[in-house]
Amino acid sequence: MNDKNNAVQASQTGRGRLPDGAPLAMAYVPMQQSDPEQYAAGCALIKGTLFPGLDLPYMGVSNTKEKKPTLLHELQAMSFAIAELGLYLDTHPDDAEALQLYNQYAEQYAMVQQQAAQQGMALTQIESAACGSYGWLNGPWPWDYETEA
Amino acid sequence: MFVYEKKLQYPVKISAINPRLASIIISQYGGPDGELGASLRYLSQRFSMPTPELKGLLTDIGTEELGHLEMIGAIVHQLTRSLTEEQIREKGFDTYFVDHTAGVFPQAASGFPWSTSSMQSKGDAIADLTEDMGAEQKARVTYDNILLLSDDPDVNDVIRFLREREIVHFQRFGEAMENLRQKLDEKNYYFYNPSLNLKQPRS
Repeated sequence: MNDKNNAVQASQTGRGRLPDGAPLAMAYVPMQQSDPEQYAAGCALIKGTLFPGLDLPYMGVSNTKEKKPTLLHELQAMSFAIAELGLYLDTHPDDAEALQLYNQYAEQYAMVQQQAAQQGMALTQIESAACGSYGWLNGPWPWDYETEA
Repeated sequence: MFVYEKKLQYPVKISAINPRLASIIISQYGGPDGELGASLRYLSQRFSMPTPELKGLLTDIGTEELGHLEMIGAIVHQLTRSLTEEQIREKGFDTYFVDHTAGVFPQAASGFPWSTSSMQSKGDAIADLTEDMGAEQKARVTYDNILLLSDDPDVNDVIRFLREREIVHFQRFGEAMENLRQKLDEKNYYFYNPSLNLKQPRS
């Protein structure tokens, strides 16, 4: 029974809703259903989407190796989940579950960001100047190649 | 107002130097379906979007595209960060090198400099959103093609992430069209331009 339910769910994950009797001369993309199935944030980052229903890799090859659990990668995973849910909410502003998840990730992000700032890893200039000394120029810039990141 | 965050949206860490691959990847920096055009397209079109939802979506996707521009710049920079004399003479990179050395310049892989002629801001929400859906598809295909041309696993890891973003953006633009459609005259969506504040069209 469970297997059957899972199979039904899996087949619906990538399905959406089209308007009945859609008028002519207009482009339609099915609306993603409310409260869609999600990946965890770390997995979503490497897949490039939070939503299994939209995960459509080229030639069936997707990224499988999750990033090392560094503070930077955690920040990237959290802010990616927030950005992805933000786009979803732009077209589904009434989805309460998605909004709740958005707020959860926002809280987690704030915590990790604070932790990072305490270790001198400030993301914005204003944040880095607030640390007592001018730390904005410290450390690697995002595009620099680093052997250990 | 924009404020810079000192991090990439997704990690870029390319071990191998490969100037020839850089001269292909550069197309997503300043080519016809690249990230510079994407961000400018959405961030320009948003001014004439008629609803708060559309203003928000175009702002958010346009901002994300700026982050992708930075990631592509990071790939090109890392692929060319230290070059031997032999590498600067490599066919395919030598013509880039003579003009830009190892600087990151917005151009197509063919050498054509970035041009607004590959994007539009038409001032009509249906026309603009239809273009945006096409633009996401064209960018997706460029990433497909890069995956065929590149055998560098570090580069391909990032390219797969960026390619997937195009699919998600396509979905969101399509949904935004549907949300807009429901607000228009249901007998004739083309009765007037929803972005133009002109209530009394001429007969």
